[in-house]
Amino acid sequence: MTTMTCRDGAELLMDYLEGALPAEVRADVDAHLAGCPRCVEFVRAYREAPRILRESTAFEIPDGLVASLQKFLTERRGK
Amino acid sequence: MEQGGEAQGDEALARRAGEGDESAFEALVARFQGRVYRLARRLTGNDGDAQDVMQDTFLQMYRGLGSFRGESKLSTWLFRIATNAALMHRRRRERRPAESLEEYAPRFDDDGRHPLGEAELSLAARADELLDRRRLAEHALEGIDRLPDLYRTAFVLRDLEELPTAEVAAVLGCEPAAVRQRVHRARLLLRGYLSHLVGVEP
Repeated sequence: MTTMTCRDGAELLMDYLEGALPAEVRADVDAHLAGCPRCVEFVRAYREAPRILRESTAFEIPDGLVASLQKFLTERRGK
Repeated sequence: MEQGGEAQGDEALARRAGEGDESAFEALVARFQGRVYRLARRLTGNDGDAQDVMQDTFLQMYRGLGSFRGESKLSTWLFRIATNAALMHRRRRERRPAESLEEYAPRFDDDGRHPLGEAELSLAARADELLDRRRLAEHALEGIDRLPDLYRTAFVLRDLEELPTAEVAAVLGCEPAAVRQRVHRARLLLRGYLSHLVGVEP
């Protein structure tokens, strides 16, 4: 086992979370996380950020825009 | 309502539309307008620009369907048009360069450890506690807007629109490894941005 730092772990985080790391590297990350509460929190925030941004920008198309798009396309297609 | 029928595949509709079937084109617009709008809104940051991008996208789709060969999925092709239209729109827009998010990149001490005193917060709990829905959406769009173009497009398509990495790579015309690297950098910056946001807001 190699000694993994917080910085090393952060670089590998996406691959770690998607199960894309070789087994021995994954074991190194797991060993680091087991002894590093700050990294556990870091991982949690890393996972939460995309979800917060996804949910807060889940915009629905406004009704008025559906109508104006139809009008725009009808006019342009006629040309 | 979709005149092509729900069961009709995107590519079959595209073929009919390409042959001049107007109802098939209208069915495709109805099918994709919500997703294209949301993508455009996330990529441009505001409703007015999203509207322009949406119009450009469907007009380009209309003009291009005759030569659409079905070598990629229709959705991949359409998202590529929309993403490029959004980028063009951003470049045309008179705007100050966005302030970089680099200051929110994770920091480590000389030994590669998280510095003491920088406690992580539960972003979700703090965001719900501190910000109402509208303000959170504004801040979210600002954070996304401040990413470099390469990171923003990859992040929005992969993490917000939830396309598979391979499809994002096809939309952006790059390797899947590049998508992963860009999405990862974007997540690191946005994690820091959100932490900062909920940590300092009263």
